[in-house]
Amino acid sequence: MKTAAANKTGMTICEEDFLKFREYFYRKSGIYFEDCKRYFVDKRLLERIDATGSESFRSYFVLLRFETGGEELQALINLMTVNETYFFREEYQFQCMVTGLLGEIVQYKTNNSPLRIWSIPSSSGEEAYSIVIYLLEYWPGIHLWDVEVLSSDIDTRIISLARRGVYSPRSVQHLPPYLLTKYFTPIGCNYKINEDIKQSVEFTRVNLMDTSDVRAYRNFDIIFCRNLLIYFDNLSRHLAAETFFDALNPGGFICLGHSESMSRTSSLFRVRKFPEAIVYQKPRQDI
Amino acid sequence: MPIIKQQAPQISGEDKRQRPRDFDGLTAALNSGDEVIRRWAVRDLAEFPAAGGALAARLKREPNAAVRNAILTALTRLGDKEAVDGLVECLRSEDVALRNAAMEAMKELPAEVAPIMDTLLSDNDPDVRIFAVSILESLRHPRVEVWLKAVIEHDPHVNVCATAADLLSELASEISRTALERLPLRFPEEPYIAFVTDLALKRLNEDRSR
Repeated sequence: MKTAAANKTGMTICEEDFLKFREYFYRKSGIYFEDCKRYFVDKRLLERIDATGSESFRSYFVLLRFETGGEELQALINLMTVNETYFFREEYQFQCMVTGLLGEIVQYKTNNSPLRIWSIPSSSGEEAYSIVIYLLEYWPGIHLWDVEVLSSDIDTRIISLARRGVYSPRSVQHLPPYLLTKYFTPIGCNYKINEDIKQSVEFTRVNLMDTSDVRAYRNFDIIFCRNLLIYFDNLSRHLAAETFFDALNPGGFICLGHSESMSRTSSLFRVRKFPEAIVYQKPRQDI
Repeated sequence: MPIIKQQAPQISGEDKRQRPRDFDGLTAALNSGDEVIRRWAVRDLAEFPAAGGALAARLKREPNAAVRNAILTALTRLGDKEAVDGLVECLRSEDVALRNAAMEAMKELPAEVAPIMDTLLSDNDPDVRIFAVSILESLRHPRVEVWLKAVIEHDPHVNVCATAADLLSELASEISRTALERLPLRFPEEPYIAFVTDLALKRLNEDRSR
């Protein structure tokens, strides 16, 4: 059994404070820490208590609760969330895409325009390439429809990595071995994604908060925006929801991360429950 | 391969601007019969610091939920006096959704809402005072407890005091102790007041004993 986390002065977080913090953090970020995460949470909380010079959990919590700018909450969110991406992460949503979302979308497509999917943030490209592989492997409609996959990030450095398409064993560890063989070439101890997959995704730089940046991003059928909104404050979430609403075709879907909820942010979207996932839909005029 | 690469996001035909995107053109577009045009006018107007009044005026009569959402977001971004005044007016609306949306927006504007909080908390309409207390629930401002304490000390309406005491039961510190102890004496016939002040005081005592 792990001992309780403590800071330099021996301060620890008691059960009551942990529960109080967990409830507050969930309300603010949508992230809920199970009891088994207690050590992880305590350690980071104590780190921020030290960093802010707070004398106790209570004084830190007051700072967190009432700080006008929200910088400390943001710092804490950054510390509490692990920015990790890998192929087939949260695969259940890709399953939902091929078994539910796309069938519904093509049913209402009145022209033969391509299906358009937007993955944001692109990070180093794992999600966008996962989408392509999933479509090719598991969606029968791929023989009938053209699909465009666009992936965007604010960080040009990470986009370069995405375009390079070379991944560590950790990044591909959840791929079935036959897909790893089929779509990747080993390079030393890493894996390079095949050129035709790489060429099928367009990567762009975009700041989701900049209206002029996102104006051209329109007519999408599905948007994947997973584990990004948790980093945003409320106003930024509202802005992102506005942008996604304008970017989607009527009837289009947005997929968020499993700890995120559009319902807490905006009433613009309908909640849709599919067997594999809960997603959010821009209403069509006819429903 | 059926996955086709798009070269770059292109401005599609329907997005091409039909009118000048200047302040006058955009405020005129707020009255368009087409909700998509109104929505984009709102989003673009958020870049103009002087747009708060026009947006607030539109908010009161905007029937489309998506446009209304965009206006609320734009007013929150602008966050100036005109924007806040527009949101305050919504607190008096009979439209519950609009009222709640205005409260949510105001919670995001602590620096701008704080200077008018005393005025809101002394409004003649007890409902507006209750909405002001509800805004305090998530307002990031160091005076939150001071405002709540003043409410339970002076507000004559039991429902306003009950709302404030309820919030204090979550976050009261020693500065509110005396006011909490006196509150049941102001409303001796109200069991909820007794319950909620008991709860707040119990939590204070627990904090003190730790």
